[in-house]
Amino acid sequence: MPRRDDLHKILILGSGPIVIGQACEFDYSGTQACQALRRAGYEVVLVNSNPATIMTDPETADRTYVEPITVDAVTSVIEREHPDALLPNMGGQTALNCAVALGEAGVFERFGVEVIGCDLDSIRIGEDRELFASAMRDIGLEVATSGFAHTLEETHTIASDLGYPVVIRPSFTLGGAGGGIAHDERELEQIASQGLALSPTTEVLVEQSIEGWKEIEMEVMRDGAGNGIVICSIENLDPMGVHTGDSITVAPAQTLSDNELQRLRDYSLACLERVGVATGGSNVQFAVNPTDGRVIVIEMNPRVSRSSALASKATGFPIAKAAALLAVGYTLDEIVNDITRVTPACFEPSLDYCVVKVPRFAFEKFKGTSEVLTTRMKSVGEVMAIGRTFEEALQKALRSLEDGHAGLGSDGHGTFDEEHFDELVALPTPERIFYVAEALRRGWGVERVAEATGIDPWYLHRIADIVAAEAAIHRLGLDGMDRAHLLAAKQMGFSDAQIAWLCGSKEEVIRAVRKVLGVVPQVKTIDTCAGEFAAQTNYHYLTYEAGGATEHVAASKPRATILSAGPNRIGQGIEFDYCCVHAAYALRDKGFETVMVNCNPETVSTDYDTSDRLYFEPLTFEDVMNVVEIEQPEGVIVTLGGQTPIKLARQLEEAGVPLMGTGSDAIDLAEDRDRFSALLDHLGVAYPPSSVAATTEEAQAVARSVGYPLIVRPSYVLGGRGMAIVYGPDELASYMAEAARVTPDHPVYLDAFLEDAVELDVDALCDGTSCYVGAVLEHIEECGIHSGDSACCFPPFSLSDALVRRIRHITHQLALACGIRGLLNVQFAVKDEQVFVIELNPRASRTVPFSSKASGVPLAKLAARIMADETLADLPLPPEERETGYFAVKEAVMPWARFPGSDVRLAYAKTREAIDYEMPAEGTVFISVRDADKRAIAPVAFSLAQMGYRILATRGTAKTLRAAGIACDVTRRIGEGHPNVHDVLTEGGVSFIINTPHGHDSHGDGTLLRSEAASRGITNVTTLSGATALLQSLAVLRGSQLTVYALQDLALESQ
Amino acid sequence: MNLLVSEGSQPQALLALEDGTCFFGRACGALGETFGEVVFNTSMVGYQEIVTDPSYAGQIVTLTYPQVGNYGVSEAAMQSGGTALRGLVVRDLCHTPSNWQSVGTFPDFLRDRGVIAIEGVDTRALTLRIRSTGAMRAAISTTDLDPESLVARVATSPAISAHNFVADVSPREERTVLASPDALHARTESGRPTLRVVAYDCGEKRGIEQGLSKVGCEVTVVPFDTPAARVRSLNPNGIFFSNGPGDPRQVTQTARAAEDLLGNLPVFGICLGNQIMALAAGAQIEKLPFGHHGGNEPVMNLLTSRVEITAQNHNYGLVFDSMGPLVPELSGGETAHVRDLRHWVERGIAPVVQTSHLGRVRLTHVNLNDGTPEGIQFLDIPAFSVQYHPEACPGPHDSRYLFQAFVSLMDAWRERGEGEACVSPDYLSIDVREGRPHHAEA
Repeated sequence: MPRRDDLHKILILGSGPIVIGQACEFDYSGTQACQALRRAGYEVVLVNSNPATIMTDPETADRTYVEPITVDAVTSVIEREHPDALLPNMGGQTALNCAVALGEAGVFERFGVEVIGCDLDSIRIGEDRELFASAMRDIGLEVATSGFAHTLEETHTIASDLGYPVVIRPSFTLGGAGGGIAHDERELEQIASQGLALSPTTEVLVEQSIEGWKEIEMEVMRDGAGNGIVICSIENLDPMGVHTGDSITVAPAQTLSDNELQRLRDYSLACLERVGVATGGSNVQFAVNPTDGRVIVIEMNPRVSRSSALASKATGFPIAKAAALLAVGYTLDEIVNDITRVTPACFEPSLDYCVVKVPRFAFEKFKGTSEVLTTRMKSVGEVMAIGRTFEEALQKALRSLEDGHAGLGSDGHGTFDEEHFDELVALPTPERIFYVAEALRRGWGVERVAEATGIDPWYLHRIADIVAAEAAIHRLGLDGMDRAHLLAAKQMGFSDAQIAWLCGSKEEVIRAVRKVLGVVPQVKTIDTCAGEFAAQTNYHYLTYEAGGATEHVAASKPRATILSAGPNRIGQGIEFDYCCVHAAYALRDKGFETVMVNCNPETVSTDYDTSDRLYFEPLTFEDVMNVVEIEQPEGVIVTLGGQTPIKLARQLEEAGVPLMGTGSDAIDLAEDRDRFSALLDHLGVAYPPSSVAATTEEAQAVARSVGYPLIVRPSYVLGGRGMAIVYGPDELASYMAEAARVTPDHPVYLDAFLEDAVELDVDALCDGTSCYVGAVLEHIEECGIHSGDSACCFPPFSLSDALVRRIRHITHQLALACGIRGLLNVQFAVKDEQVFVIELNPRASRTVPFSSKASGVPLAKLAARIMADETLADLPLPPEERETGYFAVKEAVMPWARFPGSDVRLAYAKTREAIDYEMPAEGTVFISVRDADKRAIAPVAFSLAQMGYRILATRGTAKTLRAAGIACDVTRRIGEGHPNVHDVLTEGGVSFIINTPHGHDSHGDGTLLRSEAASRGITNVTTLSGATALLQSLAVLRGSQLTVYALQDLALESQ
Repeated sequence: MNLLVSEGSQPQALLALEDGTCFFGRACGALGETFGEVVFNTSMVGYQEIVTDPSYAGQIVTLTYPQVGNYGVSEAAMQSGGTALRGLVVRDLCHTPSNWQSVGTFPDFLRDRGVIAIEGVDTRALTLRIRSTGAMRAAISTTDLDPESLVARVATSPAISAHNFVADVSPREERTVLASPDALHARTESGRPTLRVVAYDCGEKRGIEQGLSKVGCEVTVVPFDTPAARVRSLNPNGIFFSNGPGDPRQVTQTARAAEDLLGNLPVFGICLGNQIMALAAGAQIEKLPFGHHGGNEPVMNLLTSRVEITAQNHNYGLVFDSMGPLVPELSGGETAHVRDLRHWVERGIAPVVQTSHLGRVRLTHVNLNDGTPEGIQFLDIPAFSVQYHPEACPGPHDSRYLFQAFVSLMDAWRERGEGEACVSPDYLSIDVREGRPHHAEA
């Protein structure tokens, strides 16, 4: 079946803002889809509210709307663009949900738009548990069964039908109180009676227990002709009970026989056919009983998902690209396999390596969040590693995490909670893998660990082998290890740092010894076919093999190596990947062969198409040096991938690696507080009084001289990790106690907190002799909230031209004085017309994608050209000082929008809508503000009450409001017992939140509320100015409809 | 097992290839020395099915997936009574497996059956070498660790094509496999009798017998050199020619029987069976550079335009254009053969040739990776065959419908009218999806 010629213009929906469970993998899939369809000759219209994406680059689609993924906005786009078809399965659940809603609203019929790639019925079957269960029973597949019971007798009936063990889940109890697993009638009696008593509706769900079963995912594709293929099987190391996004996962599945695996393949394809997936990629999840092989279908997603991004990277098969082409009529056999270029995409990839994915968590950021992993996803990012064995891939993945581990332990970082040791082996937590290894080290034996964890003994045996190898390395010592031993250690995935620690040596020494003995890594290729056909694509990993066969092919052009950003985490997200991808594009245009190094499978940078050569490797000194020694690049770029690569700058330079752009001394000058303060003093630029303290006593002394409030943070911070505002000595003391735990060997910075100051972010380019300010962004949130977390506006809306000019001037001075060559970011605070420099980052910042799109100047691309020895004079740059005629607003976490016209409040409304999907038009507003804001909140609350909102407030705030004659209800703060605001929030009783920081305690409350609000899609405003903007935007919204604009049109208008 | 874990408990071993390439590793099966033709298989699982597949007789098999033996061994996975391959090459062999069906470890299995095996080899480098040079003679030795000496001895070892390996693996006695009770029941319900099939066992995989049994056939398995007269005396409804090792041109006894039987009874052939049937029709046979060995080969069914992902294991294949001139009126008007049969996939045509011996033959299946023929259907006699393995074991189950197709052919033949020389060729036009099991199987 060939390409459909009846379609011309296709609308693709993106996934909107990044939230937990839906991250930048959809930028990767969406970008692939746009590119594939345009290459096939279609006009592509894109709607995505997250412009930190490659997808929303004006070059990616023909028409780009940075608009919320809502029925209203998408309808407006459809009205304007009149697409022939809508492709909804590239933008995650957000896009699918929006498509369903559009269908229900009759939009497709009204405008004659065809939904391609999936049909709405299949989305419904995939989503609705009842429909799905009955569909699966139709084709003879088992699903986990359950039933509601209102009496003990009913629970017995259901349980005996299901067979023991069963899970009891009482309805409507907080945190599942009163539930549990019953293994027999006696336990059922006990748990169910308790559950029924606790449930306000005297109701419990009795469900078949599949905890402890193996969890397997199958990534499947299907075309319009009915051909189905399995791209990849993925096995979770953690058994059922942990969300697959939070589990360590392995591809291909390791513990299933051919017979078992082929059965899952049959089921997966049958499942797609029954659910009615017309074309595209889907993912089917199974639970497999480890004792008898029984299979239960858990769920299926009729769309491109996080696992399909992982499967694409793990196999080299571009699922999203293929899915897009299938949606427009191609069949799998008509699509060519990109990697071999001689075989069709209609085949099943064969791997000759093992892939391990490890999730990255940020519990240190969310104080008080439980670290126990459950079926609700908590990770914020992930790393993937490739090795010839599971052992090697696991250790590579663990050192890719960048959380201090050099592998699976034996790196001097193993501290264990002795008191709760047994419990921490048994409980799934981010640290469990280390506890499992330690338990094996302590002689528990595989059987006991398997019993405690439910992890398949195969994995435990492999970990036991790592532990045994570790003991052998330790026993042999460096002198006792010959070439074969060292090679064996590297084949087990041990890093030089681990071997050094085990041998009591140094990483450099191990590296040197290895090289002398010829134990160096070889280049292997991800080729989809296990070597059966020659690969035409340079998608590589490094591994150790006896024999020295390498697949490295010398390049004919000079190479530029770009180090990307590693795993997503709080404070380091998709923005740096965006910069690296742009650099790759720019340098390829300049005639370089670009070499990308990264270990984050969710990104565009790890697409084999983005750069000429891709190395899927950890971003540690050892692994980066391996790539550098093989590729011998002209230079290595360390300043575009955030903190991850910049940390390596000095070590790389000392090892003789040429850095492109800003050198390590300039980096040091900017990051060393003393050196930087001296420079500011020398230039006569003000900065907030600050100091450093290593102990609580020192900190208190600093506080006495600088005064409260203070911003405190550990040194070498990343994205405000561990940052807090303290208002008094007690808070400071408790912060110091915790800070010591976060980064034990580093001091803490204390800066005066400029209350009510305006904060600014400046992104600029410098070529060493001149400087160009790309964008000055004004924060809408208060000072002290990290720029990545705060709302920003371009251009500044409240500052005089003279002040902005002064800020530009200081930026120029600093850039030249530091010797920046490439990008820099300077943070300023302006208080009472006085300009303070808060910090300078000698690298790309998180605001670069926003600054680039808002200003129309592609800063990362230009920075790459400067690093490749062009000067600012060579570059096409608009004047720094120019009228833009519009405001662009970026909102917290991610999404932003850009709007013609002059109304910053309207911009804010649209941005808000992008995050929340819908502005709450009615309901309850929760208000809790610090004392300083109490007077000012009254008019806001009054207006909200006038608009018909119910006001809910904490005790103090309520007192103020009532005094002002505003009716409101009172709820408890989180620390004050139950029911409190958190309970109200989890019950869905709040439409939006206004919560300004009260000092440390309330920041703690605030953090919890913020994360709860984020996961529920509830607007949370943290400043008075934010509250005012929100209020005004609500009023605007009620009065008028928003209009949509395509980026391509804005570019024209601003020229 | 990693060297740091095995602690020197495994003797050294050497793998030497005809072209002089050598790989050192560690012995992980039986000790000793073995010579054979080295090939690679890209299936990621199914190692036990592979080593018990008699078609590997004479060969040293390299498994491209690096970690092998993870789920142990089980009786259910056996494809024959033992092992026929000459040796096994892996990157890392698992000595501590885990699976509910496992009854032992794979290294023990290899040792107990005398299979010489080597681990610690860069199997990807070896695979790339085979890909570029073609299948080669090779040796694994735990006794001669001198590369020069072993390479020299490989160079003087006999070539695989000179030997009739089928004679080595085919059984001496006849035996009978009963139809599965469920399938029998279903046939009785529909008022149809049990079908008796005589299967020429040239190294047949058990999965094939099971496949036939599951669709209601009672299978009498006979040795490869059973005369046609003996087969006819069994009064079967159909004849099956199995897979098997080596060059089909060496298997002259079976070829003679095929010539005799084709045209008189419904015939189905798999792999070597396909080649033997094609030979009977006058086709030429060629040796592929390194063969097809894996579980992910895409095959287009030209009759249904559906792609099947297939399991394959063969070094030889038939040359479609050698079977005779195209019949233009049945080949979209084309008169000239093309070597790359993907041409017919693009045109959506199943071309037909006129053979010298057995009437018209239609090309039904094409390999999408390299355009080689994967299946043929005789239009004037009741017979069809495929080059790949519908029984999988190991591999995907897409092509299981072929067993059903054979049943349909036998039924149609049995029920055909007086004087009809052949039956409608529709029996083969079954959609892959209809063959897909929609019910949980044990």
